[in-house]
Amino acid sequence: MTDVTTTTEMNLRRRFSRFFHAEEVPFGLAVIRILLPLVLLCPMLPRWFHARELYSSDGAIAPLWIGFGYREMLPELPGTAAVALYSVLILSLFTSCIGWRSRMSLILATVLYTYFNLFDAVSTMTKYSVISSHALFLLCMSNCGAIWSVDSWLQRNRQQRHNAAGRLSAEWPRSAVWPRRLMQLLIGCVYFGAGITKMHTSGFLTGEQLQTWLVTNLNYRNPVGEYLAQFPSLIVVFAYVTIIWEIVFIFTAWRGWGRRVMLGTGIVFHFLTVLTLGLFVFPMLFATIYFSFLNEEDAARFAAVFRRFAARFRSSASFVTIRRGATLFSSPPAMLRKRSGLLFGLTLLIAAFAGAEIEHLLDPYGERRPEGPHELRMLDSEYVKNTLLGPPEPVRLIDKFESFEIGTVLVGGVLAGRRTAYDVGETIEAQCTLTSGHEDMWLECSLHDDRDRPISHVGRVALREMLRCNFSYELSESLDAGDYSLVLSCAGRSLLRKHFTLRNARISAAAN
Amino acid sequence: MKRRLINLVIVLYLGALFTGIGCHTLSFGVSAHPAMYFFVWDMFCGWSSYACRVQLVGEGESGAYYELSPGPWGDIKPYGDIGRRHYDIESSHSARMALNTLKQTHHEPITRIFIVEESWAKKYNLPDHLWSQRFSEPKDPKKYFHIRHVITPDGDILESNISWLDKQNGINLGKNPRLMSDARRSQPFFAFGSAKRPSGRFLPGGYLNTSGEVRVGSPLGN
Repeated sequence: MTDVTTTTEMNLRRRFSRFFHAEEVPFGLAVIRILLPLVLLCPMLPRWFHARELYSSDGAIAPLWIGFGYREMLPELPGTAAVALYSVLILSLFTSCIGWRSRMSLILATVLYTYFNLFDAVSTMTKYSVISSHALFLLCMSNCGAIWSVDSWLQRNRQQRHNAAGRLSAEWPRSAVWPRRLMQLLIGCVYFGAGITKMHTSGFLTGEQLQTWLVTNLNYRNPVGEYLAQFPSLIVVFAYVTIIWEIVFIFTAWRGWGRRVMLGTGIVFHFLTVLTLGLFVFPMLFATIYFSFLNEEDAARFAAVFRRFAARFRSSASFVTIRRGATLFSSPPAMLRKRSGLLFGLTLLIAAFAGAEIEHLLDPYGERRPEGPHELRMLDSEYVKNTLLGPPEPVRLIDKFESFEIGTVLVGGVLAGRRTAYDVGETIEAQCTLTSGHEDMWLECSLHDDRDRPISHVGRVALREMLRCNFSYELSESLDAGDYSLVLSCAGRSLLRKHFTLRNARISAAAN
Repeated sequence: MKRRLINLVIVLYLGALFTGIGCHTLSFGVSAHPAMYFFVWDMFCGWSSYACRVQLVGEGESGAYYELSPGPWGDIKPYGDIGRRHYDIESSHSARMALNTLKQTHHEPITRIFIVEESWAKKYNLPDHLWSQRFSEPKDPKKYFHIRHVITPDGDILESNISWLDKQNGINLGKNPRLMSDARRSQPFFAFGSAKRPSGRFLPGGYLNTSGEVRVGSPLGN
């Protein structure tokens, strides 16, 4: 028994060691080191012009800890210091990208990026900021600066060669794989946690949550999402696919077909969030950290493909010029190699001072304008008194209804097969969608003819927690062919109407 | 030694990740500390059928009203077309934005600052061509305004109200006369006791915990 336990422990230790401590060339992490700072610069660079207002005590900070009930956690910086440090952040993201003093650049980027994000929970701090902080933290502990970087160029003393079979030479620096593993597990945990969130969210699997997010104008424009909001049955299908994919990702994305399917689905998923929800940074971030699944075999395959592609242009003039240029820079100047650290420090100082000075000249608040500080913009008093500050108004009944649709079939509780023409004998499924937060209501759905005369009606209770209410109408043979409408009413008022045409009416008995 | 340190880092990091997932799954301690925000993955955790915007208005001594956000130097639009203040749906930081605008501008003495919520049903966000495909009725959006907070230029709170959505939930509950009668009957004559009062759920005649409503979540989905 003791021997079995010991053998099991040794197997576990061996597997743990192989999983986390195997050595490889850090291709995937190097790609992430290059791309991640570029992704983060997209939202952070424009915010440099507002750094004083967003991140300093001379502005309107919105610290994350206020929402958690903490008064103070981190020191607030005065305006100029915040701008100077923010400039250092921008530079450190750039130097991380090019791989100059990679580890120090990444440490600076991680600390400063997280610090500044914590000071603006309203707009800067989002979950993509959190994931980015994790990714930067893991890159700090890796050897991602060992290849495809200024650091590797500065340390280079001989050319890298590739053998005839296209496999990469053993001269590439190797390091333990554990930072990449942790990043893979981070992705899996993020998806798993997101799946749990969806399970906790009422209205997700029935489509209402997604449907309202598709018409929410808080991110960038999403015309595809607005169009998709008209097809709730499709949304329900997407909801189930998403939740299943998120939950199983961490268990199946490691090798073989599972890896291909999970990563492929992820790429499609994040691309669709661009089109449907107007997200940009989040999908770009995940497209970047997906390179943590790039191993040495993948890199060798990509290198072989690239070499075949490059071979077609080897004789072209521009390629020859690029190769000559590359040869000139194959060996760095000795001074640069020896003084790299000092130069890096000086560059950071220059960035800090230059950033503060430029921001001072730009004068974002306009305090030093020739005409003096800005004046406040006056509002129309009548509009403010009667509208903005006027007496509260009750929500209109019509605003408690999202939509009223007719179709033939329910899929996952959601109407599908919407039509405007029906045959005798068919059953119309009429569904009204209600807003979240309404009282218990009595709803009536009545059938009207082409002269708007009511023919019949049916009533249902819509409890406050119900978001959908269905009515079934059988189109019996007693109805003539023609135009009809279904009218949804509440509290004695007609609210929404759907027109349809009835075909194939009964054949009248005629005397011959 | 180095490998042991690395193993410790791996165990601690994974422990933190799985702790976050565990706490999130069981809804335990997710708001206990700001650090939890880094380990709880609750993106798009809520939703609302109503869009919400925030307006900051200052009332001067002369009775004139002034726009306090965006500041006259320009607006910050973090994503898309709307200003930064509109992402503060809890109105936790709007006062600071208003006070910063006052600090950086030249103006008459301000007596009060109003933080106003502006809400409307999200269905009206559909573009006109999609609206006409879906509805036979004309598009007739209506906005609802609600004073969330009133503060002095020194930052003291004069009036503080629950959000417009919470208020509507309370009103909807109040339309159940039997329920309201039961709630009023249980009110003690003297306002003391060891029971913790639920915060900020006001209804005429008493307090009510409306924890059954749908969670709204962050406007950015994070």
